[in-house]
Amino acid sequence: MPNIIPGIESFTEMLVWAAVAGLAIRFAPIGQPKIRIWVAIAVVLLIVGYMPFEVGTYRTGQLTTIGAWALVALGLNLLTGWSGQISLGHGAFVLIGAYTAAILGDNVEQIGMYVDGGQWPWWLAMLAAGCVSGFVGLLVGIPSLRLTGPYLAVATLALIIAAPSVFEHYDEYTGGRNGLRAPQPGVPGFLDFLGLERSEWFFFLAMFLVILGAAGLWAISNSKWGRAFVAVRESEVAAQAMGVSVARYKVFAFSMSAFYAGVAGALYVFAVSGYVGPQTIAVALSINFLTAIVIGGLGSIMGAIIGGFVVVLLPDVSTDIGSLFLGEQDGARLWPTVYGLILILVMILMPYGMAGFINRLGHTRPGRHLRSLRELPDRISTRMTELRERAAP
Amino acid sequence: MDLLLAPQIWDNTKLFLDQVVAGVATGSIYGLVALAIVLIYRSTDVINFAQGEMALFVTFVGWSLVQADVDYIFMFILVLALAGALGAFVELTVIRPVENAPVLNIVIVTLGLFTIFNSLALFIWGQGELPKSFPATPIGGELDTFDFELFTLRQHRFAIIIIACGVMMALYFLFNHTKLGLAMRATAHNQVAARLMGINVGRMLMLGWALASMAGAVGGMLVAPIIFLDGTTMFRVILYAFAAAVLGGLDSPPGAIVGGIAIGITDNIVRTFALGPIFIGPDLASAAALLILVAVLLIKPTGLFGHQAVRRV
Repeated sequence: MPNIIPGIESFTEMLVWAAVAGLAIRFAPIGQPKIRIWVAIAVVLLIVGYMPFEVGTYRTGQLTTIGAWALVALGLNLLTGWSGQISLGHGAFVLIGAYTAAILGDNVEQIGMYVDGGQWPWWLAMLAAGCVSGFVGLLVGIPSLRLTGPYLAVATLALIIAAPSVFEHYDEYTGGRNGLRAPQPGVPGFLDFLGLERSEWFFFLAMFLVILGAAGLWAISNSKWGRAFVAVRESEVAAQAMGVSVARYKVFAFSMSAFYAGVAGALYVFAVSGYVGPQTIAVALSINFLTAIVIGGLGSIMGAIIGGFVVVLLPDVSTDIGSLFLGEQDGARLWPTVYGLILILVMILMPYGMAGFINRLGHTRPGRHLRSLRELPDRISTRMTELRERAAP
Repeated sequence: MDLLLAPQIWDNTKLFLDQVVAGVATGSIYGLVALAIVLIYRSTDVINFAQGEMALFVTFVGWSLVQADVDYIFMFILVLALAGALGAFVELTVIRPVENAPVLNIVIVTLGLFTIFNSLALFIWGQGELPKSFPATPIGGELDTFDFELFTLRQHRFAIIIIACGVMMALYFLFNHTKLGLAMRATAHNQVAARLMGINVGRMLMLGWALASMAGAVGGMLVAPIIFLDGTTMFRVILYAFAAAVLGGLDSPPGAIVGGIAIGITDNIVRTFALGPIFIGPDLASAAALLILVAVLLIKPTGLFGHQAVRRV
């Protein structure tokens, strides 16, 4: 297949093109802003949706992983960005979802719950994974009502530290240390006419779920529920005084966000790894989810999706930057240093994350900056004369 | 290990006491790192994720000094000085620019510091053989034991308890009996009021970071002889230290030590003993220790010694 645009075949370049095109349309000086946002989203989706046909199986798999983690980030952002509760342990919910999906999809004789006398179809297993995880989220959310800020953060951190050893210990269902294999779903019949390969089908499945998840979060955040979350985040006392049931909304946020994480875990098992074990979600990855949404932008849907990219691609980007400055070998060994520097720099330069930065771009008036620059010499000279007068009365 | 093989807690008093005292020793290390976390949390409301890795970095420097035949005590002092300087430097260059940002942003900055120090340490010292062995204190080696009437204790664990007590006493003296300590407490309590009283708040925060970094470094140098020096040495310690700090209450320095010791003992006991028909076993020991943390938090949401924040609406 000939390249339509020369040089666009590489993965990074296509992503950059998508971002540039989206930003250009978003801030183009024509048309209604609302329409421009939708057009920008459509263009970005088209470019990203075209990518699997160009970038090869490995990169497509990476995009699918990004989709799974973006889904986790969407849920976590609902919890942290909207309702203001910090969770470092969302990996535990992902793990619960992954195990549920793997058991229902493969090992179902252990629990004796059959659908049509056999394994569960993958989509039903995925939904069940979300529900189980959401239910556990409910159970965790109720006691968490008493905890705030860092106390909640560490209690949830305890969750992800403890979860792998618990799964390993009760090995009759979970396969213990060896984990479970899960069958990867084939391309469904009604999509046969597209002639998709497996990796492409997995990618579109992930993309579909992310779009669905984003739409769901958008609907929630623009409803009564979303306003209640923000009210609870800003001041629990004030929210209570206005008749918002603080406890109910906080628990709902926890459960909903665990549901997202559970579905993402099932997606990861079915579409990315085909396997789940106690070490599938490391403590570091669980903490990375929080990093991702803060870097992406709290309380922003776009921020959560950027967060998915941050989790998967920032290490690669750091390695590239590292090799650029330090040479191939040292760059590969020192990538975490570059990664840490990027985190710190982003936090200093973009306090509201990348999504906040992009939003702020929309509010800058280049003309005003130019004018104030032009006025700067005058302002300095007036100030100087002022100071001189004060010094020599 | 099976339930039948696991010793019953009431059958073996000597082993029980051994495990308790050993738990006090490892718990003291968690307590020291937790103390570092509390010192920073009290003044800036930030949980410093990089605490353990800063300690790891300076402990590696200590290892290099030992390789260069520097006397242990001299090495200890040099590493402490370096840790203090490092803490102050980090506060000044990295934390101060984000001082007024939302707390989560500062937490992410400390996570960035975590990866930086970890990878720098591995880059500098990871070329040779890992893990590296680190010498125990002159008080006694890791393999030798003191035999007391009621229990035996490894000599290095004994040293840990002594040194942890020393650090606590020094900090207690600093905070309660010197003018500098008073100024630091004032800063932690109310920055605006402290500034109005003529206290250089920025310098106090910097000093707080330096002190915390030193406390963490002591923890690092004491844990290294037991579990060796590696890229992941401090990760487990810092996780337990978080738990300890939260268990004791994030704004209470004595609470950090008590929390550390409580978690150390629980971990050891659960790892070794069966309580009647219940034997949880070593693979679930950390889960059990953390379960106790969560249980305590549910009864006292701000930890054992923490203060409930009272907010005026």
